Amino acid sequence: MNAPWTVRHRPKILADIAGNKPAIQQILDWLDMWRKGPPKKRALLLHGPPGTGKTVSVEAVANERGLDLVEINASDKRNRDALEKTVGLATRQSDLFGRPRLVLIDEADGINLSEDRGAVDTIVRLVEDTQVPVILTANDPWDPKIGPIRNATTMIEYKRLGLRDALPYLKKICQKENIEVDEQALRLIIDRTQGDMRSIMNDLQTLTSGRKRLTYDETTWLGFRDRRATIFDALKTAFTSPTCLQARRATDMADMDLDMFFEWVYENAPRQLNDPRDLSHAMNAIAQADLYRARINRTRAWELLPYALEMETAGVAMSKEFTKPAWIPMKFPERIQFLSRTRKIRSIKAELGKSIGTHCHISSKRAIPHYLPYIKYIVEKNPTEGTKLAEWLALSEDALDYLGVKRSPTEPPTAPEETELKQEKSRTTAKPRRKRKTAKTSAVEP
Amino acid sequence: MWSEKYRPATLSEMRNQVDVINRLKRFTETKAMPHCLFAGPPGSGKTTAALCLAHDMFGERFMDAFMELNASDARGIDVIRTTVKEFARIATISEVPFKILVLDEADNMTGDAQHALRRTMERYTDTCRFVLSCNYSGKIIEPIQSRCAIFRFIPLNEEDVAAYVKTVAEKEHVHLTEHGLQALTSASEGDLRKAINTLQGASSLGKPIDEKVVYEIVGKAKPGDVQELLEIATKGDFIKARERLRALLIQQGLSGKDILKQIHSEILRMPIPEKSKIELIDTVGEIDYRLVQGADEEVQLSSLIAHLALAPSQKRSS
Repeated sequence: MNAPWTVRHRPKILADIAGNKPAIQQILDWLDMWRKGPPKKRALLLHGPPGTGKTVSVEAVANERGLDLVEINASDKRNRDALEKTVGLATRQSDLFGRPRLVLIDEADGINLSEDRGAVDTIVRLVEDTQVPVILTANDPWDPKIGPIRNATTMIEYKRLGLRDALPYLKKICQKENIEVDEQALRLIIDRTQGDMRSIMNDLQTLTSGRKRLTYDETTWLGFRDRRATIFDALKTAFTSPTCLQARRATDMADMDLDMFFEWVYENAPRQLNDPRDLSHAMNAIAQADLYRARINRTRAWELLPYALEMETAGVAMSKEFTKPAWIPMKFPERIQFLSRTRKIRSIKAELGKSIGTHCHISSKRAIPHYLPYIKYIVEKNPTEGTKLAEWLALSEDALDYLGVKRSPTEPPTAPEETELKQEKSRTTAKPRRKRKTAKTSAVEP
Repeated sequence: MWSEKYRPATLSEMRNQVDVINRLKRFTETKAMPHCLFAGPPGSGKTTAALCLAHDMFGERFMDAFMELNASDARGIDVIRTTVKEFARIATISEVPFKILVLDEADNMTGDAQHALRRTMERYTDTCRFVLSCNYSGKIIEPIQSRCAIFRFIPLNEEDVAAYVKTVAEKEHVHLTEHGLQALTSASEGDLRKAINTLQGASSLGKPIDEKVVYEIVGKAKPGDVQELLEIATKGDFIKARERLRALLIQQGLSGKDILKQIHSEILRMPIPEKSKIELIDTVGEIDYRLVQGADEEVQLSSLIAHLALAPSQKRSS
């Protein structure tokens, strides 16, 4: 039930794929040519923006035609040896059951020149010799590093989905999910994501989670959602990139304050890394990043920032070794919420600590554990006594409310001004204790 | 609070720390004293002794010639440079030719502030005597220690605490059962302030105070449970452990150092292989140093928690 819609509603057959019919037809035609032996170009390069259906159509084709699909993508290692081992074998041998095979090299433009050394040459060689059809995908086919691949393949373009394709498709999904969504709302979502079906599905799922209806008005907070989409992508990069260079990009992607980005990583690391060994490494990296931040704060040495950023992105990405892949949603940093939720209480406590401290000859910090629990208890169990105590401590209205003190009827408590308190602090403590026991008003007299 | 109401006002009212008090009494008789350093656990009478000393020394002039500063609240170097100097440099004209400045919780002062204080102490010795109080004299820099007469306060023994609690209970007309008194004295661990606060808390119920009531209040006043945090952490529930840690830090107001100290003392007793203990201690030390450098308490401690989760598996492999 909890699976992302992008998984749950992933098309299994070609008819379920929205848009790009001409491109799909081209794939089918090219596969037909293989029946008479390998055609002149033995590989296709499907290119187009994310979420237009490139990978999904290859999967659906394989499914419909009963092909044995061998797939490698950006998260796999793709240097020469690795490619030889997986793709090389696949392009020469056939399936155990003699099923015809189809090889998919996903995200070909994600090849990293230094990490995946020799990958481009190897792919070109494999494509030229292959005995089985090979399909590659890429977002940017004009990336110079895959130039040789471009020349060895037939290029097929995937276009952004228009309203005409996306709208009926989404309506069907909503029906399946039993959710009523205004057409206006759907149009807005499609428009904002520029026809990226994956983002559309993520948006739609987020917006409709836990509800049965979605109106246009409720979609308008997509402005906010839009920004979250960026942080999600950035976090995904930080948590799943196979290389340091790639992971490092996460901070550039996140259109947000760097401290806030750190909080997001810190919040989500234990959720994304479900193996304790990985988590320990990741928390280590995060703590290191924090340490660099502390040093920057102390010394204003901003040139240290890159180390902090790399530890909290690449350091976290490289911690992933034993974690089992799973889709876990990203959460808003709970610490931020917790701090803002408790802000008022904390300031009241600080004030209480100060009042107790001046009256009981103790620091405001230690006053809290040494006195507050008892005072609370007395106020709760014996309100009259509690009121007397509160008067003696000269507490503010907020503090009285916090403790739940009943106001004394004769004398409405008037809290001394903050500044006055500060000025008087040294002198009140200088008074003999006997005097201090008198009413609080005398305690603030100069 | 009763702990204030029944705080002795003169040295002769103080019944414990007899050796210390006798020496202090001699100061008041001769109207002369050196700088003093009071060291001892919480609730053993350091602040009271300082207040009584000043009271006996100055009598009516108490207000002009005495100042109490809490180093935890005013521990920066600025306070030493301004407030302390301001007070210390102006002489008084009377039979006692100096003022007394009590600096409570002096072990919480930064090193820089202590060095600044040292110079101030030297410069204004003629006009002002300093009484520093601290839990650990080791946290006070050598040069200050050597300028002070050191008084060591020992934790009160159970009989002393019991006697004192009994007096207060009688004066407040509180009925305290024998078992209640026993529970109270043993729970206070020689901390008189804790004992009296517990008594006052218990009295608010308006019924005889027995051990049950005492334990209820003691339970309420217990600081955050670090041991529980450790248990959750070693079980591997990191997210829950982090939430607990957050509550300790933010809601209960414990400092990262407090928690770290408690974790440190627990490690040696944890059921993990001895080798892992050494590793953990090393990690704790590193994190302690990082906190000194101003790193984020929660982030650093959670990295320790994540590390702790690995301890049981280390046991299996060894």
